[in-house]
Amino acid sequence: MSEEKNVVSRRSVLKGAAIGGAALATGGALSAESASAATRLKGSTVKWTTRGGGATGDKIAKAVNDAFTKKTGAKVVAQQVNSDDFQNNFAQIMQGSPDDAFGWMAGYRSNHFGEMGLLADLTREINRLKSTLPTAAIQGATSPVTKKPYILPTTYYPWGLHYRKSMVKDIGMNPEKINNWDDFVKLMTLTQKKGLVGYSLGAKGGWEAMGTFDILNARVNGYKYHIDLLNGRAKWTDARTKETFKYFAQLIPFMNDNVMDISWDGMRDLLLQKKTGAMMMGSWFANDFKAKSQADYDDLWVVPFPEINPKFGVDTIDAPLDGISVAANGKNVTGGKALAEFWASPEGITEAVKAGDTNIYVSKSFDTSSYDAFNKQKLAVLASAKNIMFFLDRDARGDFAGPVVGPAIQNFIKKPSDINKILENVQAQWDALPKN
Amino acid sequence: MSTGVVQSEQYRNSQKRKDTFISIFIGIFAFVWIFPILWTVWTSLRPYNDIISYGIFSWPRHITLDNYFNAIREMQIGKYLLNSLIVTVPSVILTLFFGSLVAFVVTRYQYKFNLTLLLLFTAGNMLPIVLTYIPVFWMFIWVGELFGNRNLLYNNYGGLILVHVGFQVGFATFVLSSYMKTIPKEISESATIDGANVFRHYWNVILPLLRPALAALSVLMTTWIYNEFFWALVLMSDDAKRPITSALRRLQGQYVTDFNLLAAGAIIAASPTVIMFFILRKQFIAGLTLGSTKG
Repeated sequence: MSEEKNVVSRRSVLKGAAIGGAALATGGALSAESASAATRLKGSTVKWTTRGGGATGDKIAKAVNDAFTKKTGAKVVAQQVNSDDFQNNFAQIMQGSPDDAFGWMAGYRSNHFGEMGLLADLTREINRLKSTLPTAAIQGATSPVTKKPYILPTTYYPWGLHYRKSMVKDIGMNPEKINNWDDFVKLMTLTQKKGLVGYSLGAKGGWEAMGTFDILNARVNGYKYHIDLLNGRAKWTDARTKETFKYFAQLIPFMNDNVMDISWDGMRDLLLQKKTGAMMMGSWFANDFKAKSQADYDDLWVVPFPEINPKFGVDTIDAPLDGISVAANGKNVTGGKALAEFWASPEGITEAVKAGDTNIYVSKSFDTSSYDAFNKQKLAVLASAKNIMFFLDRDARGDFAGPVVGPAIQNFIKKPSDINKILENVQAQWDALPKN
Repeated sequence: MSTGVVQSEQYRNSQKRKDTFISIFIGIFAFVWIFPILWTVWTSLRPYNDIISYGIFSWPRHITLDNYFNAIREMQIGKYLLNSLIVTVPSVILTLFFGSLVAFVVTRYQYKFNLTLLLLFTAGNMLPIVLTYIPVFWMFIWVGELFGNRNLLYNNYGGLILVHVGFQVGFATFVLSSYMKTIPKEISESATIDGANVFRHYWNVILPLLRPALAALSVLMTTWIYNEFFWALVLMSDDAKRPITSALRRLQGQYVTDFNLLAAGAIIAASPTVIMFFILRKQFIAGLTLGSTKG
């Protein structure tokens, strides 16, 4: 616990300068405002949307919303929607008659809609939560364009190198010591010698392999270069980008033959069925191991992606940040903001965890003492990094990540020798995008 | 004469060969059609754990109906079936009413723009709905704002019914007008001579004669509107108002999707139309071939 806090404060120091003046609110105005808000809140109705999560999602939402009602006297009408449908129709939903508050994702996905005026400015709420939130999370929730936050950060999860401890032991290596590129290549080579897949990857959806690219680029060229690249401040045709793809090309001979045919769940199955040595993925699938058996779950392990360039070590990680946003077009924006703030506050988090939420919260008040070994390891993986990327399709603009970078990586895996042509094409498409 | 017998035997043999060939052909296509459905049934009977542990092509370790029980519970079937009913019934009735009105006018009265009108209605039917989605969405919002309530059409059963009527009325007009052409003109003439006005002519003379066509069409329309998923998804922001087809999406998680559960849900959602098909087979086939004898 204290270790986690240290990490957070280290991040805060490093990122502190970056957020600058993410808006200031004076104490007096604040309390007057909140007093009138409280009276307006009582008896009003706030609408809430949960994105997916099934019965557990509903249960968590009910617990938190009920606590909110108890505290403020405002009624909450909640619904659950399919996550993909909500995301795909987000612009229309926000322009129609949206629910007041909902679970959403940080990065371009909130910044872009916030800048369009579809998400409410949450500066006042985030300032009130400031003492409980790490600075990196606040920075991640803030639009670099308008300097305003459009989401209150709540949870995140790490992308790491996953493998089975038993399989690594089988090939005569120490599962606790997969630290650098040489260890990693050795692991893949020895696994492949056993007739298994050395490194499994799926690229069917176009986004899965972005995780591998993100981390390779961060390990080879560092966090700053990666973020610069995704935002047009560095070139895709740069020798440094090509260097990243040289490492990527080294992985290809170790991969499964059906990379284009499987998605993340196909990768998970390969690991579950002991057919692969390692894979780079978000840790959300661990419950499927538990569903199979406790032994399988205990066997599962995650470490930070191995070091490549000692200059950067393992200082960066992909850890997509989720949170709560408020619709600017909602019927009850005041209520929505209050509900969002409650969800992101220590009180709300306590209710969610009590109701069975297994997510890792960014809040400093979040208690992880009851975590099992795998979840503790997830925290350790998060803690090993001082820079947090949100994943390529959230760090880069939406009309670039999915339509351009996704297919480019797919083409690269199909024909690695074409890399120069592919990168020129990516750069040309970036240059052709309308900028404002 | 004997040559004639030989010839007809030859003819019969070649006919037989042709029949066998066609049967094999049809058999293959029937298999291609039925295979995904059988596969869905098969998947729905296996537990999720079996699939992730042994792969989708593995031999089953367990066969169970648990997926069905879970799907019924998680999909909240009663609520969503009721929504389907609320949308489908008025949509079908209104579509048939408006479709028959237009068909009545274009076939019974001579106007200059008869054919143009009929073509317009039919052509509108050819537009893919994804193409019209954004304009329809904005139309709904603007019309709503005109009356001071955004949810007048958007996120409202009325709006969804309107969209279904709008998109189906073209096909209904097309089918009903070709059927009406088979009704002898003399009937209309004698009705006019007997002093029936236009509405009486439509309501008391033509509509009763249309009954078989209306029955057949209503069966088809019900199936189509019941199975429709897209409009309900994009024009209803409240999940609680969506029909059964979108309730299926509740079975899909943000990351993890239990495809076995989903398969069971899909079969449950599809079963009303399948049952309807077996009960009303005749009307289905009549609906598909309606008016085909007279163009």
